[in-house]
Amino acid sequence: MPEIGFAHPLWLFLLPLATLPYLPFARRQLPYPALAVLTGIASTTWPEKLHKACSCAFLSCLIVSASCPFVKEQKVARLGQGAHIVLTIDHSSSMNENFSGRYFGGSAHETKSAAARRLLIEFIRRRPKDLFGVVAFSTAPRQVLPLTADKEAIIAAVGALGMRGRGLTNIAPGLAMALETFRGQPLTGSRVILLVSDGGARIDPDVQDRLRQDFQDLAVNLYWVYLRNPSGVSVLNPPKRRLSETSAPEIFLHQYFQTLGVPYRVFEAENPQSLAQAIATVETLENRPLPYFETLPRRDLSPYGFGLALILGVPLLSWAALEIERWLA
Amino acid sequence: MKKLRLGLWVVTLGFVTAALFHPTWVLLQPVYRYLMVVDITQSMHARDYHLLGLPSERLAFAKAALEQAILNLPCGSQIGLGIFTHKDTELLLEPLEVCQHAPSLRTALRNIDWRSAWAADSFIAYGLFDALRAAEGLQADLVFLTDGDQFPKTPSDPGFFGRPARGWLVGVGGMRPVPIPKLDFEGRLLGYWQITDLSRDRDLLPRRAELLLSRLDETHLRQLANITGLEYFQLMTPQQLVQNLRRPDLAKTLPTEVDLRPWLGALAFFAALAAMLI
Repeated sequence: MPEIGFAHPLWLFLLPLATLPYLPFARRQLPYPALAVLTGIASTTWPEKLHKACSCAFLSCLIVSASCPFVKEQKVARLGQGAHIVLTIDHSSSMNENFSGRYFGGSAHETKSAAARRLLIEFIRRRPKDLFGVVAFSTAPRQVLPLTADKEAIIAAVGALGMRGRGLTNIAPGLAMALETFRGQPLTGSRVILLVSDGGARIDPDVQDRLRQDFQDLAVNLYWVYLRNPSGVSVLNPPKRRLSETSAPEIFLHQYFQTLGVPYRVFEAENPQSLAQAIATVETLENRPLPYFETLPRRDLSPYGFGLALILGVPLLSWAALEIERWLA
Repeated sequence: MKKLRLGLWVVTLGFVTAALFHPTWVLLQPVYRYLMVVDITQSMHARDYHLLGLPSERLAFAKAALEQAILNLPCGSQIGLGIFTHKDTELLLEPLEVCQHAPSLRTALRNIDWRSAWAADSFIAYGLFDALRAAEGLQADLVFLTDGDQFPKTPSDPGFFGRPARGWLVGVGGMRPVPIPKLDFEGRLLGYWQITDLSRDRDLLPRRAELLLSRLDETHLRQLANITGLEYFQLMTPQQLVQNLRRPDLAKTLPTEVDLRPWLGALAFFAALAAMLI
């Protein structure tokens, strides 16, 4: 049932005045020499009744229209394709570099953080049905926004990451905080953590166990968009030499993510184009049925009110034009 | 008499027809655009606010006051959020309109947590200058809330080479030194910070076994306000923050359309009423 609201409800206090045509003093008095000649009492004939009703309706119509009624915005439950996505974004100082690993390239290359920001904002704009949350992390994590449908706020939060990043890439607390976002929320669609980082870090074995438990309990899928420097190790094609967790933590992180027991994909992005491609792939992957609420905008009703008033007003105007003040024989 | 009545009816219908075209009047409304930056370092845990119904902790009080500000700024105003710790200001949200996005702004504000601090030290001058640069980039005025308590104590501040800014430097806390609670990662009270907790080589304090006390360092904050062009005040009540933030000279103007239909409707109403009653 749509709810009706008024933009300027105070005008409605004038509504009692609409009954004035029914009050005795609204009756016009005519000096008339011989009442006996009159066949009936004018106020009880049907044209007079109709005129009064019309006047009353016209006045009410004007007041209601002046208070600008509208149908309140409605939320309609729909079933669509989408997901609940927590963007977990690395904001460490290395994100200030561009993809070639330099701060300011000779050509105008954008930094990793700026490219990620731009593409994520486009991604958010393309997904109107998804709920998004934002967690940023460097040395310490911070939850900027929990899952929300307020896209502009999410874009403002992602946009805020365009400022210079600081600190280290400390992934475990960021992931833990992103997982917390889902806790206590109803499981109504696929849940995704979209991790955007340019490197890995070692995660302690006991923290690893706790994260794995949470991933499974909360049924969260993990997508890792790994922004790789050309000089950095590749996760998908690991080098043949012996690796240690200090020199190539990303490979160990990838191996750990594969043991999580939830759907997991890694995307390596070496330039803005491959980053765009990775995001596009995530987009096609997460299209499962998702109940969501569509907000229908509020609808202004006062044009209808004024239109009705005009329809009632024209006969009233002609009625006034028909009035005869004095018989001229 | 008939002519007058007829005239009034014509006027009435004229107003109604005009209202159907949805006329508007453009007014310049004062709005504000602020970047609000909150200090989240340890000393902000100190409890020296004593107002009924409001938290006593400096950080929680500052957040409660900012929430009031979000609720009381005129629609069309925009607020961005940031946090300060160590030498830097981190932006959380770019400025968002306060009426439409009030729920998101309030959630983001409540989510501000001292555990997001990435270092325990604080160098207020660096953080403030960083915040000023961020505010300039966002074309917003700055509201920087801090207690001015700085660790380690530094003998002098860096020079300020930016442009003089507009906005407020808000002192949070009281003049009387109070102990600083030491919390564990779940936010439970472990005790209070002692001078001996500080690392040996960095502080300039005499090493004695006593509580580390914190008070609002107004002298330092006034100094910083003077060199940056900000104005200083001590945060006493949320209402005072709202009042200061709504000061007309900090307003920007936003053209807003005022709906004229209610007035046309009312004019039509009174004209019709007159036509019926005379």
